[in-house]
Amino acid sequence: MNALVLSAILGVVMMFSGILLKRPAAIRSVAIIGLLLLLASNMLDMSGTRFFSINLGDFLHFDRFAFLFNSVAIFCVLVYVLLTGKAIERVGVKNYADYFALFFFVLCGIFLVTSFQSLLILFLGIEIITIPLYILTGSDKRNLKSNEASLKYFLMGAFSTGLMLMGIALIYGAQGTFAIEKFNLLKIPGSPLMIAGMLLMLFSMAFKVSAAPLHFWTPDVYDGAPTVFTSFMATVVKAAVFIGFIRLFENAFGLLQPTWQLWVALMAAATLFVGNITAVFQQSVKRMLAYSSIAQAGFMMLAIFALNGDAKEGLLLYGAAYSLATIGIFSVLSRMDDYSYESFNGLAARQPLVAATLTIFLLSLAGIPLTAGFLAKFYMIKAVVATGSNLWLVVFALLMAAVSVYYYFRVIQAMYFREAGEHSASFQEPGKGFKWVLVLVAALIIALGLFPSLLLNWLYF
Amino acid sequence: MKNALQLAYLIPLFPLLGFLLNGLGRKYFSKSLIGTIGSGAILASFAVSLWVFFQVKSGNTHVAHYFNFISVGDLKIPFAFQIDQLSSLFLLIITGIGFLIHLYSTAYMHDEKPEHFGRYFAYLNLFVFSMLLLVMGANFVIMFIGWEGVGLCSYLLIGFWFRKEEYNKAASKAFIMNRIGDLAFLIALFWLINKTGTVTFLEVFSAESLSKLSDRDITVITALLFVGATGKSAQIPLYTWLPDAMAGPTPVSALIHAATMVTAGIYMIARSNVLYSMAPAVMTVIAIVGLATALLAATIALKQNDIKKVLAYSTVSQLGYMFLALGTGSYVAAVFHVMTHAFFKALMFLGSGSVIHAMGGEQDIRKMGGLSKYMKITNITFLVGCLAIAGIPGLSGFFSKDEILAGAFATSPVFYAIGLFTALLTAFYMFRLYATTFRGSFRGTHEQEHHLHESPAAMTIPLIVLAVLSIVGGYVGVPEFIAAGAHSLKDFLYPVFEPSYKILQEHHVSHETEWGLTIGSTIAILAVVIYAWTRFSKKPDLAEPQGLGKVLANKWYVDEIYDAVIVKPLNKLGALLNNIVETKVIDGIVNGVGRLVNYGGRQLRWVQSGQVGLYVLLMVLSMIVIFVLQFFFRK
Amino acid sequence: MIHLLQANISTSAPSSYLPIGLQIAFAAGLVALLMVLTHLLGPRRKTSDKLQNFTSGIESHGDARQPMAIKYFLTAILFVLFDVEVIFFYPYAVNFKELGWAGFGAVLMFVGFFLCGFIYIIKKGALKWED
Repeated sequence: MNALVLSAILGVVMMFSGILLKRPAAIRSVAIIGLLLLLASNMLDMSGTRFFSINLGDFLHFDRFAFLFNSVAIFCVLVYVLLTGKAIERVGVKNYADYFALFFFVLCGIFLVTSFQSLLILFLGIEIITIPLYILTGSDKRNLKSNEASLKYFLMGAFSTGLMLMGIALIYGAQGTFAIEKFNLLKIPGSPLMIAGMLLMLFSMAFKVSAAPLHFWTPDVYDGAPTVFTSFMATVVKAAVFIGFIRLFENAFGLLQPTWQLWVALMAAATLFVGNITAVFQQSVKRMLAYSSIAQAGFMMLAIFALNGDAKEGLLLYGAAYSLATIGIFSVLSRMDDYSYESFNGLAARQPLVAATLTIFLLSLAGIPLTAGFLAKFYMIKAVVATGSNLWLVVFALLMAAVSVYYYFRVIQAMYFREAGEHSASFQEPGKGFKWVLVLVAALIIALGLFPSLLLNWLYF
Repeated sequence: MKNALQLAYLIPLFPLLGFLLNGLGRKYFSKSLIGTIGSGAILASFAVSLWVFFQVKSGNTHVAHYFNFISVGDLKIPFAFQIDQLSSLFLLIITGIGFLIHLYSTAYMHDEKPEHFGRYFAYLNLFVFSMLLLVMGANFVIMFIGWEGVGLCSYLLIGFWFRKEEYNKAASKAFIMNRIGDLAFLIALFWLINKTGTVTFLEVFSAESLSKLSDRDITVITALLFVGATGKSAQIPLYTWLPDAMAGPTPVSALIHAATMVTAGIYMIARSNVLYSMAPAVMTVIAIVGLATALLAATIALKQNDIKKVLAYSTVSQLGYMFLALGTGSYVAAVFHVMTHAFFKALMFLGSGSVIHAMGGEQDIRKMGGLSKYMKITNITFLVGCLAIAGIPGLSGFFSKDEILAGAFATSPVFYAIGLFTALLTAFYMFRLYATTFRGSFRGTHEQEHHLHESPAAMTIPLIVLAVLSIVGGYVGVPEFIAAGAHSLKDFLYPVFEPSYKILQEHHVSHETEWGLTIGSTIAILAVVIYAWTRFSKKPDLAEPQGLGKVLANKWYVDEIYDAVIVKPLNKLGALLNNIVETKVIDGIVNGVGRLVNYGGRQLRWVQSGQVGLYVLLMVLSMIVIFVLQFFFRK
Repeated sequence: MIHLLQANISTSAPSSYLPIGLQIAFAAGLVALLMVLTHLLGPRRKTSDKLQNFTSGIESHGDARQPMAIKYFLTAILFVLFDVEVIFFYPYAVNFKELGWAGFGAVLMFVGFFLCGFIYIIKKGALKWED
């Protein structure tokens, strides 16, 4: 609750900081301090120090899992601001503070989604997350691609919101309540009304995490949005919606697992297939990353499918590993003026440190051992194996993970094995701070790859 | 009480430190400092390995447990090293030969810029680190980490001279082929977790967990692991990357593609020998694949003119031999051959490096000849290597090869016959190589002749050491029929393979038969050696090969088939031998899948047209399909 | 697919949907009937005056699709936003006594946020008509 209230207040503070402060660096400092405060307050909350005592009724319930993920999310946003904060200036200095305000509002929505106890709050949280994203997508006002992406995102987002509302309405019709704790699935498990509502919820959540066959918006929107904001949308937000997803399906629809499990499995497989196979054919690294985010979502869908203890731990680890690595890659990408593979040619010679950390991020995404990405994938696969059936899904997921190596390695190959030529994009000289943060993130990814308990132990004490 | 072997973590630690130091400091260090750090790290871990080896020899085996790496539900995967007879032996091979190759590299790579020099040694140390993890890991997951690591380093090292485009392709090819194998390994790993709930070697191979596995499980797991092994150890159908991998610097070829990485598959199967012994069908498949690979690669090597390519195909062929040994249940022979092969193949690769160095980068043996006059040490040591690989009595190769052949004979005389034929081919192409390179008269340019010189001491000392090892290395495994109880390697490794011996019934071949076989094969080999030597010293075959020779020179066209099997079916290959058909079928499937992926990718891209209307339509359609299926077709 | 609409399994007899069915039939029938009737019965006289847009008696000029200044939309949207927020005051006014001081605090907070937004848009210059 601490972080929830604080994030809303900080959002307002950021809005006004743009009016009171003129220098972007000052605004950025305010945002960083705000994020640190948020992180601290959330940690305090986790250890039992609550600033507010409010009867939350059936609306919200904060558990350790939610707290831990919230901390991860805040931390990722912090890393994101440290790495890409300066690059946001290129989108527009005039509204610079507003972007940070939107980040805080999104965080506020994330806190709702990760700890909702009522479908109303879930809806509210999802909308608080997505509306700022529509704005961020279209924030590059002079760029037609950005405008188009924003409009597309809005149209299709409205479509999925409709689905979700319809689903909630049907479920309310079946259960007579919004509180997921009070759902009575034992009495009338197979009520068509309930199942129809549940499927609609499944579709709308799948839309938000860009799972096939509702992924169509993703490549266009991620490609069209300013790179700095794609980084934000594709990482923290996606991971957070996944947490809401698993919470919904565990606490609300857990007993209906036999009904939805098959659909989730098929969706996961389709997502993995579409994401990985299409990513292979991309010529732009940015678009490749958009498809890779679909592919990674397919892996995270496995957690929903398995829905056991391993799956929840794994999802947390996966969210952290995926977000950190992707933020890192995007931070480098946002400093380049061209996104083709060729533009990475010979980067290792010019920027050895940046190239080395980038390699670690890519290895992590590809799931190479000794990185957090490998363990995250391992946990997912282990969770599916633990369900005891559906080995085809395991085999398919591994196969697709093998395919993913191809397109991630293309970047590494360009950086290390090719000479800088005329295609190489100019790369904005990074400052010392940027490099330090990159190294820190890379070190973190390796550390999590060796000791996942660094993160997961927080779940228990 | 803490076991002293807990200190085994030092062995991989030194190369890791070397990697970090050289990787981070390569811009600031001088070349000699980089070389000292790189080689010193391996020397230090060699010293520890020696100590470990003698500990093990005195009967102290240990599983050193450090921390819990992964704990998911009931599954606990510790970060632990297993120090026993098998791993300690491999440790010695890896660090020992690794050190010699590092030493050699300090001279061989001396013309590189300090920065690249540092990068090279960093990769090399990282590679040794991964290989050590692979061998020391006490469970399949640690092994897999090393397994991936060596693949990655090999990718980096093959592509080291990245200015040439084809080298990049070779690097990618190696990595992709390895990934296919790794995939099978992973599936096997998860299958094992699913059935037994553990991946630790000692637990998996215990009677309790083996009883949880049905025959079908064991067959599937071992078969999948074997597919993994074919990727790493270059067997049919995943072998084509290894010859291409010769694009890397020569010491890398010696270290990775002869002495260490390619033996990972052998190590893994030897480690899991209990499982394999329980799956006789898979054993037969291994033996046949090994034999087929040995024969195919040996025939290809007959007509290659690139000195490194000949050695590469000979490596593939010798690896086939090792798989034959595994498949026929002679695990000790396989490990023995790994060891002797590491000695003489590293020797020959380094020797070829010395030659290439002297020739100023030339690798075509048709442009060499008569080098024995200019390079005395290289000549003699290379000759020793050739004699060893050919299996001349008294040298190391003789003992290990003889043991494999004896095991093959015990299983089936057909295996023996093909194995012996391959051995003759080996002797032939090796002495063709030797005679063409070192005998006769020099055929290069005048300038090259002027430049010819013996290599510096840092290169010749490793050659001499390896030559000595190639000669004496075989005496740890003198067969029973020559001197009873002299096979000390077998006794040493006995505890590792003991469970298998209980399962496999041993075929016994009488000592008289063994004597007969050995003498017969020795005479045949000697005859081939003398013929090849005299023929190619006088008249090296410089002409473009015709007929079957052309086919061989083009490596049975396997690479071409791999590229164009669907486009040009049956074109020029109609008359070729049967195993071609086999590769073709396999590749047809592989390429077919590739094309399907390609086609599917294109169609998927078309769907992503940018039309919101189409997107929404597709989403609605898919939802309707799910609704209809859910409500009308599911109970 | 008819079960999609059922709310309670105990009254799932098809007959219980009869009233709903009747209502749907009646509503659809009425609309159709009226449309057909006006079409058939009404006299038709087309004059140019009748085809013009009716804009509260003001004479129309120009094309409706000509670009308008974004300011109109901005102001209109902000108006709607604040208008909707004010609606919250009505229920509060009705329950003023029952909610007591806690309610007062909550509404004060609401107004505070509200005011922040208002100050923000003024400072941002969203309501400035002249550039």
